[in-house]
Amino acid sequence: MNHLSRRGFLKGGATAVVVSVTPLHQALARLQTERQTQPPGWRENGNVRFRQDGIPKVTGDKVFAVDIRAKDMPDWPDGQAHAFLIRVPRADRIFEGVTLDPLGEEMRPDTVVTAETLRNDGVEMVEPDFYGAFFLEEGNVPAYLGQPVALLVYHDYARFRAARTRFKFNEDALIWGDAAEPPARTPYGATRYVRIGGETREAEDRFSPLRNGTIFAGFENGEADWPDADSEGDVGGKAMALAGELRSELENPPEGWNVYRRKYRSQYVDPAALEPDNGNAWYDTATGRLHVVTGTQSPWINADHIERMVSASRFDLTELRFSPGYTVGYGQKEHHVHPYYVAMAALYGDGRPVRLALDRWEQFQSALKRHPFDTDITLAVDRETGEFRSLAADQRADGGGVMNFSPSVGQVSATALQSIYYLPKSDLAVQVDASRAPTAGSMRGYGTLQSMVAMELMVDEVAEDLGRDPIELRRINAFRSGNKNTQGAIPGGHLRAVEMLEAAAADPIWTERAERKKAFEAENPGYHYGVGFSCVQKDYGTGAEAALVQLELSPDGHLHMRHVASEIGCGATTSQMLVTEAHLGKPADSVDFAVTDWPSLSLEANNEPYTMSQDTQDSLAENPRWVPRITSPRSASNSAYYFTHATTEAARLLFELGLWKAALSFWREGIGGGQAGPLYVRREEAEWRDGHLVAGGLNPLPLEDLARRAHERGYITGVTVHTFNRWAWARAEFEVEGERFEAPIDALSVRWGEGADSGKRAAMTDGGYAFQPRQRVEYPPTQRNNAAVTYYAPCATLVELSVNPGSGEVKVLNHRSWLECGRQIVPELVSGQIQGGIAMGIGHALYEEMPPYEDGPGNGTWNFSRYRLPRAEDVAVWAQSATVLEPLSPTDPPKGIAEVVMIPVVAAIGNAVHHAIGHRFDRTPITPERIKEVTG
Amino acid sequence: MTAMMTVFMTINGTETEPLEVPEDLMLLEFLHEYLNLTGTRYGCGQGVCRACAVIHDGPMGARVVPACVTGVAWAHGRAFRTVEGHADRDEEGNVTAVTPVQQAFLDHFSFQCSYCTPGFVAAAQALVERLEVDPVPAEDVENVVLEALNENICRCTGYVRYLEATRDVILATPGLTIGDGRAEGS
Repeated sequence: MNHLSRRGFLKGGATAVVVSVTPLHQALARLQTERQTQPPGWRENGNVRFRQDGIPKVTGDKVFAVDIRAKDMPDWPDGQAHAFLIRVPRADRIFEGVTLDPLGEEMRPDTVVTAETLRNDGVEMVEPDFYGAFFLEEGNVPAYLGQPVALLVYHDYARFRAARTRFKFNEDALIWGDAAEPPARTPYGATRYVRIGGETREAEDRFSPLRNGTIFAGFENGEADWPDADSEGDVGGKAMALAGELRSELENPPEGWNVYRRKYRSQYVDPAALEPDNGNAWYDTATGRLHVVTGTQSPWINADHIERMVSASRFDLTELRFSPGYTVGYGQKEHHVHPYYVAMAALYGDGRPVRLALDRWEQFQSALKRHPFDTDITLAVDRETGEFRSLAADQRADGGGVMNFSPSVGQVSATALQSIYYLPKSDLAVQVDASRAPTAGSMRGYGTLQSMVAMELMVDEVAEDLGRDPIELRRINAFRSGNKNTQGAIPGGHLRAVEMLEAAAADPIWTERAERKKAFEAENPGYHYGVGFSCVQKDYGTGAEAALVQLELSPDGHLHMRHVASEIGCGATTSQMLVTEAHLGKPADSVDFAVTDWPSLSLEANNEPYTMSQDTQDSLAENPRWVPRITSPRSASNSAYYFTHATTEAARLLFELGLWKAALSFWREGIGGGQAGPLYVRREEAEWRDGHLVAGGLNPLPLEDLARRAHERGYITGVTVHTFNRWAWARAEFEVEGERFEAPIDALSVRWGEGADSGKRAAMTDGGYAFQPRQRVEYPPTQRNNAAVTYYAPCATLVELSVNPGSGEVKVLNHRSWLECGRQIVPELVSGQIQGGIAMGIGHALYEEMPPYEDGPGNGTWNFSRYRLPRAEDVAVWAQSATVLEPLSPTDPPKGIAEVVMIPVVAAIGNAVHHAIGHRFDRTPITPERIKEVTG
Repeated sequence: MTAMMTVFMTINGTETEPLEVPEDLMLLEFLHEYLNLTGTRYGCGQGVCRACAVIHDGPMGARVVPACVTGVAWAHGRAFRTVEGHADRDEEGNVTAVTPVQQAFLDHFSFQCSYCTPGFVAAAQALVERLEVDPVPAEDVENVVLEALNENICRCTGYVRYLEATRDVILATPGLTIGDGRAEGS
């Protein structure tokens, strides 16, 4: 959902810089095998026994960027330099410079870098509106707490640590001038989604974002300046006129409506990725080569921006190597700024590798946060039927000091607010402000946590007021398949929240809640027991999901994969290896992950998938090498569906274009068409059993024989595909070896086997592959950006808890969840995501909170000692359970679920606390202090 | 600048060379920056999250210590096991066999990003070794495991698979529990 303007990637540009992105494990050639292979004993009875990356992780190998020192890198000099950033812990005075006097001579840095240094050297942040400038210039008031002002580089560890310790928790390095206000800032964005449905759920909408458009506001004095209402005017005018009617109706509702208005507040949170932002980089002054090792969810963007940053400076850049390690982020490392500081630091290492790794205080002070939201909801309900009639919402979020993804987080929050419910009409407005807090970004949930939790708390209250069972009220209003969402789009596939509602309604935790409460409170005098429920459905994807996958078979049947996927903990590198099995009979034997160097499918992109016009898209799409975006950032929720689609299509095409021909060549050998002659063989009937291809009673063929034959005869033995999804798949027609076909991909190249004729060999000019220009392409229209969401995964959670009114402590006793995720690739990974997401949700509901400003993390004093993360004792570790709904068919695609699982537990806890003590909280976290305020 | 001191200690069965280091250096920094043993992870620097947990092999047996707040002045001359020292390795350092705890973590898909895994390996291994000399009733194992691993913070997994793996190792290992027919001598 970002609105960045990006140029095409390096390979398509005029630069002479050689850029490669090599996963850390490959860069560590001295320490580990060159590429990842199936671990010994990995598979048993068709299942994997452990994670593909399990053994190095459990034995303490260097898998994270934070583990890397100069001596680990094969070509680097051993001498390791270390650096740290000086940041401002306040934003109420004029910054007049840095003094290093407190360090004395012994601790004086080897190099100091400030805004002036960078200005003189022409080193600038790429896209500073999105990431912020590197350093605050002297003579200015800081824009936000934690803003960097200087980088100190040391050639040894002992002096580095001494100097960093000297400047910790104090302002001794900073020279301050007069008191002053931080600069006034224009809000990052304000967006509005107006939908007025037809007479029935199925009828055509009168107005919707998808049909008509999304509304964006200008600003006046920091407030959204929406278009003037004009029912005869343009889209903005009409939308505001309809929104005005809707709001007026809520003020003066028809007979039979109950109108509820509630306000909710969510808190400012640190994602708390345990690997802090870090990196290690070496700029070889002799050769102009820069090698960056870091932890990131956006390797492609990082490499692109670093190349642009250095190329525009006075520093020569002949080659950029970028090596992302295995990492973890929950969004905290998606489009984060740290990799650019790492690269910049290396430029000032005097030829030494420079390590820039944040400690936890620095991580709290500077790394991306979760936005706090104020959410004001007005919901109209038919008293008799319980049906929701109309919804209005106004949300306001604090985006912190730098824009980052704030506008789109706000948009996603607004479009998720409807939760699992169908709303005949709605007006959803959201504004995201700039502030002096550390920057907020793309944390797990991406705004939906805040809006859906508010809605789910509200629905329980409405049910109570109407005298209805909360789950039954949800069932009445639940979104059914084919319904339109608040953007007017019909989500893909069958929506199954109702199944979960019915399961939960029949669960003993729910049906016996009154008896359990009585029994618990009798056994535990003074404690209050409560049960709460919530059900949400969460989108997955960004609306511009792009991926590249290459699959190649060697003559002996070895299957090698290259993939854009990188590992952020959720198991993508395990699951993607397995996805090939359906079409090729086995998982990939070896894999290169986190690949961004794609000579086998050289493409061009303007990388403006959200903002380009339809005319621009139509025009650019005439170039068969153009795609809207090369690849999208990594998130835990986008690998299962979007990457699996790309991997599946590559495997399918390799089978259909290559191996199937090889199979027929065996089966049709001999007089009269061979053993296949008397039969009619259909490709779609073929399947793999025990590594053999079987079809129609023909002799089973092992993959190795097919691969050998395909190579001998010069059939296709390798394919590279590119895929793109804007809430629907791009599809294109290709003609390969005279066969014309359509596939849900937008670019393709193929590699013929060793026996290929000279013509085919000559055509394989793209990294050993032959580009296959698409004959026709159908991209989802740019208007589909307004759909905002079409892929949903639902999740429901029941919580049992107790409240100690004296201490205010809330104890989660048990929770039970239901999840629908399509077909599971690795059930253990899905289960782990559920358990982990719920723990994070418990933290959000009960513990995690920081003040955003002067007393908050930007002042550099926050750490886990005062920021409570949930521990094992907090999550009902032995009692909890979860049910994953069976897929409807073997072809159900896997869904992205890593975000949705953390959401319902939050509202379920809020609703359970109400059941326990009779008070409805309108803000999270529900801390002991807030409990005690109401229990006295 | 901080005064320097010369330290050595036994890490994973091998005594280090004497090294001159700042006397306020923490064991975690010593492992990372002086021995290049980085499997023990920095999490908070204040002993709260236990990503840095290592095993101290002392007179009381195996005990977990947070390396990020354990000074080298105390660690000097003592013996520690880091995550790199649990599995068997060949002469090139390649893993040839993992411990039952590590195997259980693999079998249970216990970890995701794995940043905290070395701390859990240390805590679970120390618990197993403690139970070897001081077994507990089988029905208490879940509580014992929860208590032993509760100090370790994990942000990915929700803890369930770490704790289940540890419980299963303990219940499957003769001598660690009593009252389940598996205790020593039974």
